[in-house]
Amino acid sequence: MDVSQYLEIFIDETSEHLQNLSDCIMTLEKEPDNKDTINEIFRAAHSLKGMAGTMGFKRMQHLTHDMEDMFQEVRGEKIKVTSKMIDILFECLDALDKYLENVKETSEEGSEDNEAIIKELNDFIAAAEGKAVEEAAPDKEEPAKAEIVAREKKFLEAELTNAEKEAIKNAVNTDNRVYGFTVYIHPDCLLKAARAFLVFKAVEDYGEIIIYRPSSQDIEDEKFDLDFTFFVSSAESLDKIIAAANAVSEIDAVIAEEVKLDIYDKAEENAAEELPEVVEQAEVSVPSADAAKKNQPSAKKTTTNKPVTSRTVRVDIEKLDALMNQVSELIIAKNSLVSISTTEGGNFQNQAFHEQIEYLERITTNLHESVMKVRMVPIESVVNKFPRMVRDLSRKLNKSMELYMSGEDTELDRTVVDQIGDPLQHLLRNSADHGLESAEIRRMRGKPAKGAIYLNAFQEGNNVIIEVSDDGNGIDTEKVKEKAIERGVITQEQAEVMTQKEIINLLFMPSFSMAKKITDVSGRGVGLDVVRSNIEALGGDVEVSSVLGEGSKFTVRLPLTLAIIQALMVEIRDEKYAIALGSIQTIEDIPVKDIRYVEAKEVIHLRDMVIPLIRMDKILDIDPLEEEPESLTVVIVKKGDKFAGLVVDNLMGQQEIVIKSLGKFIKNNKIISGATILGDGEVALILDVNALI
Amino acid sequence: MENAIEVSERYTKQYIVVKIGNEQYGLDISYVDNIVRMQSITRVPKAQTYFKGIINLRGEIVPVMSIRLKMGLADDEFTDASRIIILKIEEQGIIGIIVDEVKEVVELAAEDIDHSTKTAKNDKNSFISGVGKHGDELISLFDISAVVDESENV
Repeated sequence: MDVSQYLEIFIDETSEHLQNLSDCIMTLEKEPDNKDTINEIFRAAHSLKGMAGTMGFKRMQHLTHDMEDMFQEVRGEKIKVTSKMIDILFECLDALDKYLENVKETSEEGSEDNEAIIKELNDFIAAAEGKAVEEAAPDKEEPAKAEIVAREKKFLEAELTNAEKEAIKNAVNTDNRVYGFTVYIHPDCLLKAARAFLVFKAVEDYGEIIIYRPSSQDIEDEKFDLDFTFFVSSAESLDKIIAAANAVSEIDAVIAEEVKLDIYDKAEENAAEELPEVVEQAEVSVPSADAAKKNQPSAKKTTTNKPVTSRTVRVDIEKLDALMNQVSELIIAKNSLVSISTTEGGNFQNQAFHEQIEYLERITTNLHESVMKVRMVPIESVVNKFPRMVRDLSRKLNKSMELYMSGEDTELDRTVVDQIGDPLQHLLRNSADHGLESAEIRRMRGKPAKGAIYLNAFQEGNNVIIEVSDDGNGIDTEKVKEKAIERGVITQEQAEVMTQKEIINLLFMPSFSMAKKITDVSGRGVGLDVVRSNIEALGGDVEVSSVLGEGSKFTVRLPLTLAIIQALMVEIRDEKYAIALGSIQTIEDIPVKDIRYVEAKEVIHLRDMVIPLIRMDKILDIDPLEEEPESLTVVIVKKGDKFAGLVVDNLMGQQEIVIKSLGKFIKNNKIISGATILGDGEVALILDVNALI
Repeated sequence: MENAIEVSERYTKQYIVVKIGNEQYGLDISYVDNIVRMQSITRVPKAQTYFKGIINLRGEIVPVMSIRLKMGLADDEFTDASRIIILKIEEQGIIGIIVDEVKEVVELAAEDIDHSTKTAKNDKNSFISGVGKHGDELISLFDISAVVDESENV
């Protein structure tokens, strides 16, 4: 058992605390007098400090300590919240983030002392106070006293097995003394097992721990409340051991006394007899590390709007991937069973057999759904760093702006969420830098001085839509055209016949930046093309709509899951294709005579909608039929508010399919998003509807 | 026997000898994952012309390439002797290539390999890393990374 096993917990919890701090500091800037927020900040900073200390990350500890000082002053209303102060605090958070990055990569915090930031912090405090910085004098913890009274010598109640009594006896016989210990950990302690471990380590310098209550395994697994009990056999005096145990931080109290075996014998003989005799007794309360702790109970009460910690398990994403793969295999195996059972000539016409197959299908579908749900995480973890980013942008670009977010609780597959951050960040920057006009222009146009950027997420069928929009200038298609001609991307003649949409699409060309000047924020040519390719790599797509002078909207569409989908299997001549059920609207039989032409393209008129027809055989390079049938089977698919009718030969029915990648070798024009293995072992391709429309 | 192989391994490399048209080619055995019989290949529309499509290899999707088409030879004619050689290439993954016939496995020592035949690019020879001499037979040795390289042949 050593501290390194807590590294992962440390990393996870530290990122949570950092995020929390960042959120709260944002709130603080807007509501400088919000006591709840200050207390919440205090609590997070304090936990951070404690954890960094436990793990031995001195520099992190130091920095958070100084931040805590700052919050202390704010809470004591000695310092007013200013934007300068918020800036410094954010710098601190960035520095802490860097430490955390280092820890993630090397398990070390690195050697950057961040003295400049610490100095800035302290100078700020000093300046605000108008006097030299003083360490907040540690107060005695008042309420703790009362608590201590309630602390029992739990070791006296420990029921010992015969073997354990024997161990005590043996220890006494070897001239060692046996001490019973009950250690109380501070209620806010985050790594209780680590504390316990440190206590054991300290104690073991003096003697041997012979009995653990709860068992050492349970303590290691943190299966205990706030206290644990153990028995030490040692030749040293009790005081020394208690002092050693007390030296561990975040320990509230160490209660111990020497234990004589006969007390247990006596207790056995006469349960009603008075409590055992005590040779030596010590009770020490730990003074709080700083004044901070004193106010913690109140801080806790006021943050009741925070969700109660739910019962969760942290699982390595790789384990989930493995699970998902196994579910995929199961579904393929199930599909082949289904396929065998439906082939004629088999001896499977048995009613019970079919019932069981159906049952199996239901189970695998449910299993898949459960695994998928486990893999789903809210996009919150990604988007909640955006308000901070927009604030920074606002200062850097000297534009006043505000980010409004909704649907942060929309869930997506973990792998998608992990990779959606960068593209979204890029779109937001784009809105902030290119979208929003300067304050003067906004005023002239009668818009509020403060620009608005919206991030909207919601689920639509099998997709999750994330919209990034702003109320800025919108895309000036004329300018884009000019630029494209200037760059030689298109010719003058081409430009004249291009639709608005086509022009906007030029923005997604590699190295096409509209920034008039290269800024820190954007305009370095790494642009929307990267956004698009990142999103497409996730199986999604991105669209833009824009009204000049009113703003623009980027719509990112992402698949809910990457692995298994419900699909409609269709046949085109002798080839089989799968179409994701989520994008299918209806299936129609259209008589050939009902086909109309618009701009020389085939369309059908269906329930007041004009829907373009896509001849799948043509798209997929399949020889056309010699004789056209009288009616066509048309699968109406939908993408956003656009529809298309896919002409296929035959429908084969619905099936759960496992999406497999075509690998890196085959490069095609995106209309095929993957392949799947059918029940009979045959391979079918999956059509990407989003690329077709 | 086993000992002898291990000792000689330091000096020689094993190659799988295949026949494509009238020529014999050698594939470094360390890349070869598997050799399978011809099976139904699912065509992938719009893919590079020399990709015949994909197959299901025990639950995995494997792209299958026609080395003939890639080298600019006549299209494959599948016979009973046709095989798909499954190559495992690090990072890029698994790929199958179609050969007319698999003949044998040979061991070639470094001095048996003549590297001087490397000629201009875009010639089928650009896929050959050298010519091995085995008895009185000549075996063109494939440069596997060039064979599967997609960058210049799209």
